[in-house]
Amino acid sequence: MRKQNEHRQIIFQTLAVLLGLLLVMSSAAVLAGGKPGAKVDAMKILTATATMDPVRPEAARVIAAAFQSIGWDVKANPIDYNQNIQKVLMEHDYDMWLVMLSGASLRIDPNIFIYKKHFSGQYKKGGWNWEGLSVPEIDRLALSQQKEMDVSKRKQLVYKAQELIKHYQSMSVLAYVQMTNAYRSDRIKNVVPMMGEGIGSFWTDINMEVIQGDGYVRTGINAPLKNMNPLAAKDHLEFMELRMIYDRLFRIAPNGKAEPWAVKSYKIVDPTTIELTLRKGMKFHDGVEVTADDVKFTIDYHIRWKAPFFIDSLRHLESVETVGKYGIRLKLKDPYAPFIPNLLGAIFILPKHIWQDIPDKVDVSDPLNYANEKPIGSGPFKFEYWDRGRELKVSAFKEHFSAPKVDGIIRVVYGSHDAMAAAIEKGECDRTRYIMKPSLLMDLKKVKNVVAQGYPNHGFYTLSYHTRRPPLDDPAFRRAIDYVIPRQLMIEAILSGFGEPGGSVIAPANKFWHNPTVKPNPEDINKARQMLKDAGYWWDKQGKLHYPK
Amino acid sequence: MQEYIIRRIFYTLLTLFGVATILFFIFRIMPGDPTAQVISPALDEVAQARLKQAYGLDRPILMQYALYLKNMATLQWGRSFTSSRKVFDIMTYRFWNTIFLMGAGMCLVLVIGTGLGMVMAWRRQGPLDIGATVVALIFQSAPPFVSGLLLLMVLSYRLNLFPTGGMHTPGVTVGGGLAIFLSADFLHHLVLPTITVALYYLATPMLIMRDSMLEVMGSDFIELAKAKGLAPHVVMIKHAARNALLSVVTVSSLMVGFAIGGQVLVESVFSWPGMGQLMVEAASSHDYPVAQATFVVLAALVIFLNLVADISYCYLDPRIKLGKPTGS
Repeated sequence: MRKQNEHRQIIFQTLAVLLGLLLVMSSAAVLAGGKPGAKVDAMKILTATATMDPVRPEAARVIAAAFQSIGWDVKANPIDYNQNIQKVLMEHDYDMWLVMLSGASLRIDPNIFIYKKHFSGQYKKGGWNWEGLSVPEIDRLALSQQKEMDVSKRKQLVYKAQELIKHYQSMSVLAYVQMTNAYRSDRIKNVVPMMGEGIGSFWTDINMEVIQGDGYVRTGINAPLKNMNPLAAKDHLEFMELRMIYDRLFRIAPNGKAEPWAVKSYKIVDPTTIELTLRKGMKFHDGVEVTADDVKFTIDYHIRWKAPFFIDSLRHLESVETVGKYGIRLKLKDPYAPFIPNLLGAIFILPKHIWQDIPDKVDVSDPLNYANEKPIGSGPFKFEYWDRGRELKVSAFKEHFSAPKVDGIIRVVYGSHDAMAAAIEKGECDRTRYIMKPSLLMDLKKVKNVVAQGYPNHGFYTLSYHTRRPPLDDPAFRRAIDYVIPRQLMIEAILSGFGEPGGSVIAPANKFWHNPTVKPNPEDINKARQMLKDAGYWWDKQGKLHYPK
Repeated sequence: MQEYIIRRIFYTLLTLFGVATILFFIFRIMPGDPTAQVISPALDEVAQARLKQAYGLDRPILMQYALYLKNMATLQWGRSFTSSRKVFDIMTYRFWNTIFLMGAGMCLVLVIGTGLGMVMAWRRQGPLDIGATVVALIFQSAPPFVSGLLLLMVLSYRLNLFPTGGMHTPGVTVGGGLAIFLSADFLHHLVLPTITVALYYLATPMLIMRDSMLEVMGSDFIELAKAKGLAPHVVMIKHAARNALLSVVTVSSLMVGFAIGGQVLVESVFSWPGMGQLMVEAASSHDYPVAQATFVVLAALVIFLNLVADISYCYLDPRIKLGKPTGS
């Protein structure tokens, strides 16, 4: 009995000592995080090199200089873009990251910028909340807007989320950058710009008309096309070409709303059931009719082979069934508001009669490795040829329900933005597909018969703060430094004026979802200093910024 | 002689094996990840695992290495990560594009370079000697994108004599293979990049030819030839130039090898889809199969040309007799 007591005592004592050690250690950890009174840690702004985008290193330098002016030691660190992604998204090893979140049509629905960018669970390897923000109230809103199938109610949630996101400021939206595009007005007309795509949009592809020439529109871009396999594609530039050849069930209209496309009508039966009715008489380019069977096959195929781009959205799908020849019923596991724009508005309808034999009857074991050399879809353009590294030629599919007004499009790859600008000036190239260097646009503006201008965009340059590293772990600090950022200088000097100062993560161009009360902060160093002072930060004699004591 | 050639071939293969091994590991040590290239929904963990599986990167590294060596040996170079196409097909296409460009450029360089070098040495310190040296050195020091852009600015943008780039006018299809040389459109596009390449590489063979000519011209047999009363151009071409050519052969074989991979700048200035651009694209997008294959082919080419130069020595220089002791 006594022995037992002794034992118990020893155990208690050991536990007490361990507990004490733990307490001491954890307080030490807290101290190490805050370092009261110490000089604020020096930091780097990671970004891409000028080869990839001349704007980024310049902007990073300008901002670093501004931060230095309040006594905080910050340097720009431009390195290879792939390493940016590796360090930030994969390893979370960075202080600040200057990046452009481009205006892909997938990002018009607020889910990406509200949920993916700010939900605490997205702070994971490959997740988009690389800032590591974790605010329970934002988490709640992010989840509920995702489940709210009623659009006007969802809008209220998204509005509220924007306010909170601005308040916690895990990133500073620097500038909404315009889509800087150019085209020859003596060769084509009726271009249809779209938010985030400019005149490179699908709506330009099918609506523009040729004024003079051979009926084909030469579209210039400075990046080679990589992949024509709809299952393996994972980058916006590939989708821009594939979407001409393949049809989608819905398409994002120029105003940003998902409109029925291959679908004639649809009905949301209840929050987890969607019924679609296909258009009748649609044909694939080889003459076979498009039916509900192809749609069911497409979705099942993407699930079976885990198509990387769609894997995330497909997780919300329970089952897909056909109802007669043209009807489809989709059953969701849980209500998921972005399902229509981000899955049904993105997935390409594959012809079952072709893809059911892949990979079995071709020389690959995995359809992701299938090159799809001659893509056959049901889209408004048919594939003609793809001369790798040089050009892709598609021609109008006259039997399409929305047949293009031109004979076809030739996508030409230029070695540089400068070469592309020269080709437009000489009339060798009719329009740009994607963004062109703003400074070149200024030169093209002066050329006769060239329209060179910026178009609205919901994409933006942003400065991400790693909110798990001091001093960036302090929301008050983040709020204060946002007032230091020289947005006007950046827009005028670096973007040649083709941008607007950034405030909310949902851009004003995205009219339906943007909360107009969330405005950009003015540049005001005195206010920033006051805010830092109120939060307890102080300056030493050399003017260096210190943590609160 | 035969023994020497066999030994040389054996060493060549050993070198290639070494290069292939280094390349394999260097690309994998390089920071970055082939499954993380753009911020896209495909960065999700499940999606990444899926891509690794499709690329065969989920296997242990030594197994990947063994497979890689086997594939290299059997010329089964796998499929590109980014385009899913067979590496071999991508490479053949790009390889020929570069060969067209470099072939034209190198022919020009070698013919003009050796010719000029020969005459320059013969008329040493003359205006041609000094003028050509200065001009050639300027263009060698100026990176090709400077001379290329200048040519484009003047001849294309201003005078509108040549197209701004590409291999042919967009939308014009040209027959494959050698038929391409019969297409006026292609030749028209070839002019400016060829001149750029030629200007950049001209100095090397020209100056080497000049120097080795000078060396040869000091020899007794030249004096003898002159004393025999042979016409000067006969002495210059038949006696001096033939002997001086030897060093040009060595250098040009290496030059050609590097030119095939090293013309990234010319290719990007003129939007020419060749090997150099492919190498840069593949390396920067971590497309291992394409990057490895392009670098191995380039290395193989340089090593092979070196071998050819070594062996051709035996024929060009009668003094080199291998394997047997020679009396001088």
